[in-house]
Amino acid sequence: MKIEFILNGETQTIDVHPARRLLDILREDFHLTAVKEGCGEGECGACVVLMDGKAVNSCLIPAGYLEGKSILTPEGFKETPRGQILEEAFIEAGAVQCGFCTPGFIMAAESLLNENPNPTNAQIREGLSGNLCRCTGYQMIFKAVRLAIEKGEGLW
Amino acid sequence: MTISKSIKRTDAREKIRGEAQYIGDMSFDNPLYLKTVRSTRPHAKILDIHLPDLPEGCFIIDKSHIPGKNRMRTVVSDHPILAEDEVLYIGQPILLVAGPSRELVYQISEKIRIDYEDLPAVFTLEESEKQNCVFTEYSFSKGEPDTAFAQAARIIEDEYRTGLQEHVYLEPQGMAAEVKDDTVFVYGSMQCPFYVEDALTEALGRPSDKIRVVQTTTGGAFGGKEEFPSLIACHTAIAALATHHPVFLIYDRDEDIICSTKRHPSIIRYKAGLDDNNRVTVLDIDLLYDAGAYCGLSPVVLQRGIFSATNVYNFHHLKVHGRNFRTHTVPSGAFRGFGAPQSIFGTEMLMHNIAVSLGLDPLEFKMKHILKQGDPSCTGGKIHDKVILPELVERALDLSDYRQKIQKKKKFAGVGISLFLHGCGFTGNGEQLIKGKIILRKSKDRVVLKISSVEMGQGADTVLRKIVAHTLDLPIEKVTCEIRDTGLVPDSGPTVASRTTMIVGGLLKTAADEMKSRWNEAEDFEISKVYHHPDFLTWDNDTFQGNAYPTYSWGVNVAEITIDPVTYDIHIEKVTGVYDVGRAIDERALRGQMEGGIAQGAGWATLEVMKSKEGKLVQHNLTDYKVPTSMDVPEITCDFIDNPYEFGPFGAKCAGELPMSGAPPAVVAAISNALGIPLKEIPVTPEMLMELERHED
Amino acid sequence: MVDAYRPKTLSEALKIRNETDCLPIAGGTDLMVQKARGTGLGPGFEKPLLFVGHLPELQRIEKKEGYIHIGPAVLLSELLHNPLIPDTFKKAVALMASPPSRNLATLGGNICNASPAGDTLPFLYAADAELLLENHAFERRMAIEDFITGPKQTDMKPDELLTDIIIPDMDFPVTYYKKVGQRRGMSLTKASFHGLADVLDGYVEDLRMAFGSVAPTVVRSRDIENSLIGESVNSLKNRYQEILELYEPLIQPIDDARSTAKYRKNVCFNMLKDFLNHLEKNQGDII
Ligand SMILES: Cc1cc2nc3c(=O)[nH]c(=O)nc-3n(C[C@H](O)[C@H](O)[C@H](O)COP(=O)(O)OP(=O)(O)OC[C@H]3O[C@@H](n4cnc5c(N)ncnc54)[C@H](O)[C@@H]3O)c2cc1C
Ligand code: FES
Ligand code: FES
Repeated sequence: MKIEFILNGETQTIDVHPARRLLDILREDFHLTAVKEGCGEGECGACVVLMDGKAVNSCLIPAGYLEGKSILTPEGFKETPRGQILEEAFIEAGAVQCGFCTPGFIMAAESLLNENPNPTNAQIREGLSGNLCRCTGYQMIFKAVRLAIEKGEGLW
Repeated sequence: MTISKSIKRTDAREKIRGEAQYIGDMSFDNPLYLKTVRSTRPHAKILDIHLPDLPEGCFIIDKSHIPGKNRMRTVVSDHPILAEDEVLYIGQPILLVAGPSRELVYQISEKIRIDYEDLPAVFTLEESEKQNCVFTEYSFSKGEPDTAFAQAARIIEDEYRTGLQEHVYLEPQGMAAEVKDDTVFVYGSMQCPFYVEDALTEALGRPSDKIRVVQTTTGGAFGGKEEFPSLIACHTAIAALATHHPVFLIYDRDEDIICSTKRHPSIIRYKAGLDDNNRVTVLDIDLLYDAGAYCGLSPVVLQRGIFSATNVYNFHHLKVHGRNFRTHTVPSGAFRGFGAPQSIFGTEMLMHNIAVSLGLDPLEFKMKHILKQGDPSCTGGKIHDKVILPELVERALDLSDYRQKIQKKKKFAGVGISLFLHGCGFTGNGEQLIKGKIILRKSKDRVVLKISSVEMGQGADTVLRKIVAHTLDLPIEKVTCEIRDTGLVPDSGPTVASRTTMIVGGLLKTAADEMKSRWNEAEDFEISKVYHHPDFLTWDNDTFQGNAYPTYSWGVNVAEITIDPVTYDIHIEKVTGVYDVGRAIDERALRGQMEGGIAQGAGWATLEVMKSKEGKLVQHNLTDYKVPTSMDVPEITCDFIDNPYEFGPFGAKCAGELPMSGAPPAVVAAISNALGIPLKEIPVTPEMLMELERHED
Repeated sequence: MVDAYRPKTLSEALKIRNETDCLPIAGGTDLMVQKARGTGLGPGFEKPLLFVGHLPELQRIEKKEGYIHIGPAVLLSELLHNPLIPDTFKKAVALMASPPSRNLATLGGNICNASPAGDTLPFLYAADAELLLENHAFERRMAIEDFITGPKQTDMKPDELLTDIIIPDMDFPVTYYKKVGQRRGMSLTKASFHGLADVLDGYVEDLRMAFGSVAPTVVRSRDIENSLIGESVNSLKNRYQEILELYEPLIQPIDDARSTAKYRKNVCFNMLKDFLNHLEKNQGDII
């Protein structure tokens, strides 16, 4: 099936099986390996990308769904002003250990702050609840999001 | 600047940006993909294997392709790399299918049929005990337990249980292999490059200089990438040799859960003798650990289990007996804490429950029994270092407001406290046997660390580089780590047993001190160091007498929980942890370890239900096996009290595994406190609580 | 074989549905997992896919003549943000799946998947929701409980699509929702209860009670409810044991990887009791 969609700001036309997972399209066809596979069933959030500005699990999206959508991966996000702020905040807060969950958390945090630039602690917990981290116990990730809100005043 | 002041992690940026290369992110020219065909029977003879016709470029690899010995080398090398005539658990690897596309490989593996003849199987620890399927058995004692029991004023017997736990490192297991100029290269996610090299030497029947093992960025491990990667490294290497292609073997989550090692389930039986003053004078501990289908490194897990079974307490008379049992289930293996969290849970809850049953305050009761400097440990080794457990307890009580909270207890809310320790480094004479080696290389104004100890998320790179940079007064950017490639680095030992900072960091510190004094000697030179065991430590591995560990790290946890009276859902509100890890090399990195360990421990104690039914895991994906999310973790407060250790770098002891033992007994004591019922088994689930409550009613 | 269709309009979709044996897919959050085959493989569907999630006709939320109409392709996250959606329904939706998967999952998908653990269903049953099913020529409107015939089974004909979800626009002063999961974040339901009631001067004017995940389909009994309507709130409290006994034969949970039958049953009774207690206190929102 021929599909046209926007990937990190550029229009792409691909010809793939309509059930091929966006996760595989990104990792294998476009070599965008910042998107990780931790479960392949929507449970871990390591594969989270933004679709039209909102976090989605790329392992759950069939290619046929993509037509006309705009996809942003960590590769496309990292150089943006908000991407930079989140990057610094995650480093400063110590939110990264093994790092396998991290790109997904960054995208989830971006989606959360897009929707709610000033979340309460409970809303931060809720907003990140689709992303598993087995290393950090999450505390430093919460802190990173609060730090990003502080540092990135007005950006979201 | 003091060493403890936190710096930015050296690997954070590339991980955040998704630029770090995990094994699944690597690419090779014309790789073949591997898929493992596994046993569907818990115990059976393989009668016949029916293979489909293979398309061009596809291969089947079986035991006959193994050039060397068909055993995965570890402590007890009993696990066949690919099954021979018999399978002992569901998920055991039998064949490998290799092909140029995942689709082809999948199609072929779907068409393979295996005929089995089922054999009798043992599924539970109790059943295995009845049939006496023992892999290993140890015992030791202290004082005169029999006399002490005879003189005891009161005897209490009890039994405790802990369940399976899956690591859920976020990056599933994966390896790749290729052959270049007659050298086999294996790349992958792992804790112990030289364990893998060892296993390959034996499986491939080739010398280690024809094998290179290269660690890729490792997405979490927790013990799950200690011995298990050796197995799949053998699979990839054998396949690369057989097919003359680079090969990839990356597990999906479900496959990973089904076949990778888990934490040993346990049953621990106690008989305690108390005197008139309600002091436990004698304790008999019988530990049963479920090793699963193969023995592997279960003997050393059990050793740590039995040597940790007295936890922070000094019982004058003691009898300890431990056994590993075979069941026809997925093999158990290394998991953060390595056998200790099980026995510490049992003993902490025993102490808690005895106190409550006698109407005593659990904390006061525990404090009457704690070890002090100069006391003999359970194996009679002298506790050489200062024990600051009372200070840790005081700090934890203050930070958590424990006293106030336990007095003003509300309905369906509870608070609990746990005391715990972790023996630093290898058990017994392990360090002497391994003799870790490091090299520090100066080239102009830069220094390179050559070690095999890996970064797997715990922060080893940052901490070890910091030790050297701090000693040499260099900026951290000038101090780097050589990639963990067995062709390039010496064997500083496996990244296990919380030994990296204390032992390997200690060697690096000594080398850095020497380098500092010789700095101007030359532009380029190397210093190498080999581990030397401090002379004052003694250990007899036959009688289990002496210092089972060079020193201990200590901790106190206070947990606060609430229970939903309608659903019995447990909510862990807050955990306070205070620790003595000698001295923090980097406080934030350390905090990260403690917070992650608390979450993992709390998960094991409450959420993480994993059962097997007739040898088949009931929860085998992340939909059914639940680890804590951001909504489940408590608020965590951590603090550290400095107690520098003479033989650790800057006074550092061990840290990574310690927190795993603290949260479970603290959380369970809090639940017990909330409902006023004794609890003896984890995970504690709402199902279990409702059952117990109805029983009480 | 054609692998998939991506019609531009609903009528085009219904035409394809009429002519071919195909599998409608909306957000894919159920189907992609149910048919998953692993990394790099893509799920294995036996039939060509019919993408319907993008169809504008299926994405509306509107109020018409005393009813709220929700298009089946409305995302769970959109339900949370729409002012026409009753708050008590939002509470159930907010506890479903996770933020990223709620940006994919649709209401229609949850209904058509017909899982006993589908979390929108107890509310829809309690609210007397009706469904509109259309093929290329006809449409039929039916109660949700007639549509869902068993676990993962519906009365959907091979040429039909679900095209509208219709909820009477009613205001219930007393609402109660509780989801029992394995953990707080992202969890499938072990048992759930949605209660709606109207209480006037201490007497029950209207009462709806629906249990999820404890029987092959959602449990709601109009007979039991009708026998309680008109009673005083106080007397209901005293008849609690009797009410449990009425529900007892209907609540038939199973043991599975997530919980036990016994626990599920007990927790249902506890939730029911809790709800009845809240009637007495006449408290509004309970969650
Ligand atoms: C990680 C994760 C967590 C989840 N948690 C929850 C949870 O907490 N609670 C819960 O209830 N569910 C949960 N789910 C299940 C799922 O997300 C929901 O059922 C969701 O609402 C399904 O919607 P969908 O659009 O993704 O369905 P799809 O997968 O697209 O479709 C589901 C079914 O509906 C059919 N269908 C869809 N639309 C139509 C239509 N218009 N006409 C005819 N047939 C149609 C499809 O053919 C298919 O049979 C979870 C799923 C995942 C992956
Ligand atoms: S890989 Fe998509 S959620 Fe885990
Ligand atoms: S840092 Fe390892 S899973 Fe989050």
